[in-house]
Amino acid sequence: MKILRNLIDKIKPNFVKGGKLEKWYPAFEAMETFLFSPGEVTTNKVHVRDAVDLKRTMITVVIAMIPTLLFGIWNVGYQHYLAYGMEMTHMDYFLFGLQKVVPIIVVSYSVGLGVEFIFAVVKGHAVSEGYLVTGLLIPLVLPVTIPLWMVALAAIFCTLMGKEIFGGTGMNFMNPALLARAFLFFAFPAFMSGDIWTDLSPESGQVILDAYSGATNLVAYDVNYQHIQSVSDMFFGFEQGSIGETSVLACLIGAFILVITGIGSWKIMVSVFAGAALMGLFFNGIAPVDDPTNYMHTPFYYHWLMGGFAFGAVYMATDPVTAAHTEKGKWVYGLLIGGLIVIIRAFNPAYPEAVMMVILLMNVHAPLIDHIVVQNHIKKRLRRAAQ
Amino acid sequence: MEHLLNMFVKSIFVENVIFAFFLGMCSYLAISKKVKTATGLGIAVVFVMVMTTPINYLILNYMLREGALAWIHPSLASVDLTFLAFILFISTIAGAVQMVEMVVEKFSPSLYNALGIFLPLITVNCAILGTSLFMQEREYGFLETGVFSVGSGIGFFLAIVLLAAIRERLKYSKIPDGLQGLGIAMIVTGLMALAFLSFSGIQL
Repeated sequence: MKILRNLIDKIKPNFVKGGKLEKWYPAFEAMETFLFSPGEVTTNKVHVRDAVDLKRTMITVVIAMIPTLLFGIWNVGYQHYLAYGMEMTHMDYFLFGLQKVVPIIVVSYSVGLGVEFIFAVVKGHAVSEGYLVTGLLIPLVLPVTIPLWMVALAAIFCTLMGKEIFGGTGMNFMNPALLARAFLFFAFPAFMSGDIWTDLSPESGQVILDAYSGATNLVAYDVNYQHIQSVSDMFFGFEQGSIGETSVLACLIGAFILVITGIGSWKIMVSVFAGAALMGLFFNGIAPVDDPTNYMHTPFYYHWLMGGFAFGAVYMATDPVTAAHTEKGKWVYGLLIGGLIVIIRAFNPAYPEAVMMVILLMNVHAPLIDHIVVQNHIKKRLRRAAQ
Repeated sequence: MEHLLNMFVKSIFVENVIFAFFLGMCSYLAISKKVKTATGLGIAVVFVMVMTTPINYLILNYMLREGALAWIHPSLASVDLTFLAFILFISTIAGAVQMVEMVVEKFSPSLYNALGIFLPLITVNCAILGTSLFMQEREYGFLETGVFSVGSGIGFFLAIVLLAAIRERLKYSKIPDGLQGLGIAMIVTGLMALAFLSFSGIQL
């Protein structure tokens, strides 16, 4: 530690005002404050002091994502060996997953942070920590077979178009990680749907099982909802899908961390689940009786368990920047997300997985929801004042 | 009935005049700085659209199309006046806009001032003429025309109000100097169009 401190102190004069590398100060500052607590104190007027700053907030979210990440890594290996019909130890599953997932994470972080650094240096502001979360969310919502250069492209697009163009962390109106996924989904559809959810790199002396099917439960469900895996499999996450989305249990652990620390809004999480349940029950009610395979018959908890629903509700919809800001607005926002997901899953064969698109759509609507809530509040106060 | 409902949803969300066809961009970009004025313009556009498209339908089908004039005299059955469609469509639209303008000036002078030149310019709003021309090109029936015009109008209304709300929020963002104003509005529109893709392919 001491050596590091000394090194930083030695090179510091180059970066401060008047130094040779003055331009690079934001990059230097980001590294220094990442490693050590800064020694400066505020010089202007009184501040409210709190231990929770942006860095702490972001790190908490990253910690909340660890369960899904670990399970995702294990599941990548599990699905791989399952397709070849091989029984291996948990360690083997995990090591195989590690070998596939770590490169994606490294690319996502290095490329995205690279863009952030360039912007910070050019615009002369501090590098912000927002990308710590986005950079981990991107790998978790992508299939494991995605080529690394596409991950890099998506990371550049979402940092640039989703965030930096609006001024950086906290100023955007659309969730950058989802934007990255949507970008890849529409730019390279062949790599984002179909038989891509399991890594099928060759295994010596083994052939893929005849029974192997590359379809996720959502695709199977579109044909006939009764053909999908058991409820417990979907809950624990022994299914195919994007790296981080399969396990509902892991998402719930993450949700617990987010709610306990007060970083994720429980109102949004609850209302997303409630919205899907209400819409699911409504569809059950109006579903045609003479057609028992109609997808409107799907029990509502299937919607909770399938695909990225839990992941979206816990990590994506609760993004404090792009969600509705007002408390009443959060309920409306969440209910609409849940309801629309079920509607689009049922009626739109083009997107069996609706979570990503619906959250982006509601990101667009969130400012309007807030506006209406605030205006209503103003009207109510005015009426009360007039009495 | 299902067909009409499908068309209604489609014209609002899937084939939104703004996000799918990028029609009517000038007033969409210019009058979207505040939600209140955007709502005013949106309502005016909805009104004009719902008024003019059915009228244009009647004009087209009972005066302009080949054989449409047969109801006056059988000898006129071979007359084809469709080349007059553009000019007649624009005239109906201009008439409707004139009415809206008088109403707005009388009942809401503040909105009238806020909208400024863009209120009379609804006449040449391509979203409105576009709706009439889509009606002609796709050969809709009268009921379909009505549903389609209401849907397109609501689609435009939704788009402009959403953009206005987002731009009100973006007031607190540090947008680079070169992108202030229209630049960022264009980018936001592109991102919104991406989000609206979630409805493409929907089948009721």
